Order: sequence, then C-alpha cells, then structure tokens
Amino acid sequence: MATSTISSTPLSLSDRLTAGVMALFIGAFLVFGAGLANSAVLHDTAHDTRHSYGFPCH
Amino acid sequence: MIVRTLLAAIVAGLIAGVFMTGAQELRVTPLILHAEEFEGEAPAATEQPAAQPGAAQPAAENHDQHSSLKAVSPLGALLDALSPITPAYAHEGEHEEGGIMFGMSRFSGTLMANLVTGSGFGLLLAGVSLVIGYPITLRNGALWGACGWLAVHMLPAIGLPPELPGFPAAELGDRQTWWLATVALSAVGLYLVVLREEIVSKVAGLVLIAAPHVYGAPQPLDISSNVPAVLGAEFAVAALATTLAFWIVLGVVSGFINERFVKAQ
Repeated sequence: MATSTISSTPLSLSDRLTAGVMALFIGAFLVFGAGLANSAVLHDTAHDTRHSYGFPCH
Repeated sequence: MIVRTLLAAIVAGLIAGVFMTGAQELRVTPLILHAEEFEGEAPAATEQPAAQPGAAQPAAENHDQHSSLKAVSPLGALLDALSPITPAYAHEGEHEEGGIMFGMSRFSGTLMANLVTGSGFGLLLAGVSLVIGYPITLRNGALWGACGWLAVHMLPAIGLPPELPGFPAAELGDRQTWWLATVALSAVGLYLVVLREEIVSKVAGLVLIAAPHVYGAPQPLDISSNVPAVLGAEFAVAALATTLAFWIVLGVVSGFINERFVKAQ
C-alpha cells in the first residue's frame, strides 16, 4: 500500500492544518450543541440522541 | 480544496447519522421509552402536543420546579397540569420551556440531532486526521472509527456508563466536565499509544488514558432508582454496541469518500 498522505496530493501542509483546525472547531461546535448545550429546547430535541450516545444528560 | 475536505467529512457524518437513527430504533430507543415509564407519572415532554404555546411560554419563564415554590393561582395549576415539563423531567437551573424545535415529532428531532452529531463527529475525526497527518482511507477507516468509539464512548463509559432517563447521577456540570476531559485525554492517549513508535510515548499514552479514571468520575450520593437494573444493563450494552456501529460506519464512509471524491481531484 502506498504511503501517500492527504498532504501529498491535494492539500499543502498549511492548507491541511487550516482544514484540520476548522474541522475540529466546527465539529466540536456541532457536537456540543447536540450533545451538551444546556438549553431546554436543544435538550428535548436531542433527548434520545443524547442518551443513546451516552452524553452526560439530566 | 479545504471546503471540499470539510464537505467530505460532513457528508460522511450525515450518512452515519442516518444509519445511527435506524440502528437506535432497534434497541436503544425502545429501552429509553420503557425506562421513561418508571421515570415519572406524566408522559415525557416530547410527546406532549404544543398545548397553548403562546400562553404557556410566559408562565414557564418564572416557573420553578421546587415544590415549595409551586404556583398557587388556578391558572398556574392549570398550566402545571398542561406543562410538558414534569418534575422528573425537569433539570435544575433551567428557566426556559422545553419542547422539540419547530414542533417536530420525537423521531424527527432524534433524526436531526443524529445528523448534527454525526456531522460533528465526522468533522472531528477528519480534523484529527488532518492535523496529525494520517489520512483516513477505506482500509483503515474501521480502525479510525474504532479509535473514535474508544475515545468518545468506551473509555468515558468506564466512569460514566450510558444512563437511562431516571437514573441517579451526580451534578450535570461536573459530569460534563469529567466527560469532556476524559474524551480529550483518551484521544491524545490513543494517539500516543497507537501511532507513536517510542516506548516513552506509549507509556505516556497509557498514563493519560488511565488518569481520569484514577481521579474518578463524579458519582451520585444516592444510587437508588425507580428504573429496573435490568433495563440499565441492557441499555448500556445496546448504547455502546450502537455507537460502535455508528463509528465504524463513519470511519469507513469517511475513508471511501476521501479516496473516491477528495483525492481524485
């Protein structure tokens, strides 16, 4: 198997880090909103999801 | 190109989120519904139709769930009876009316939450992969997924097992803090153990993974519960199995999309 990395073809190192950090921030924001945010509406909407993912809830 | 990479992660997350919704309906959701029968007398908040949404809202703003502060006016009593928030369901410190966004059904709410959570985990997985420079491929996608599951579900579950509604638990903020710290430490620890060659790194990784458990997860003072223990055991296994399937789907689909649509350009 070739030892190609994502940086080898499409992304330069700085692009790779930019994309990675952006992905981490947006991803953390989405997971926080669905799983942890202390809002009743968000909680009730995501209730079953929070329980089945094992997020601390209630 | 950056946008394309992020979109690939989001699409993989959405696919995994749809899969997760189907998988949840098999075992996890029925167990949650079953447990809610023991949680309180009134039906769950999410099943209540939006009765007088306009009228209920202002009263609920000042509404406090402590029994000593119960509203005494007839209107207050009426709203109490109609309120979807039951004492068992309410959470301390909340002052807003609950209910599912946009008046969706319970299932739609769960589906939407799964799509959002799936995209979020998809982006986090891709973000880790990009930052540390190890691409997710079709071949190693399942391993990426398994490591995600270990970091986000299995290792934190040692201290805080997946809970059913109505389970006794310590203060929410403490548990969330411990959970977040454990996920972060486990992820860094797994990176050190799995991807670093040096023995020192591997040992340091194990120390990081063990640290939150040595510190100890916040535990409730009173562990009595109305929910039968059998349901709890079944739920813990079902939740961990379902999330493992979710993460493997997420990893494999991420690898497939990366190879097929991102690298191809």
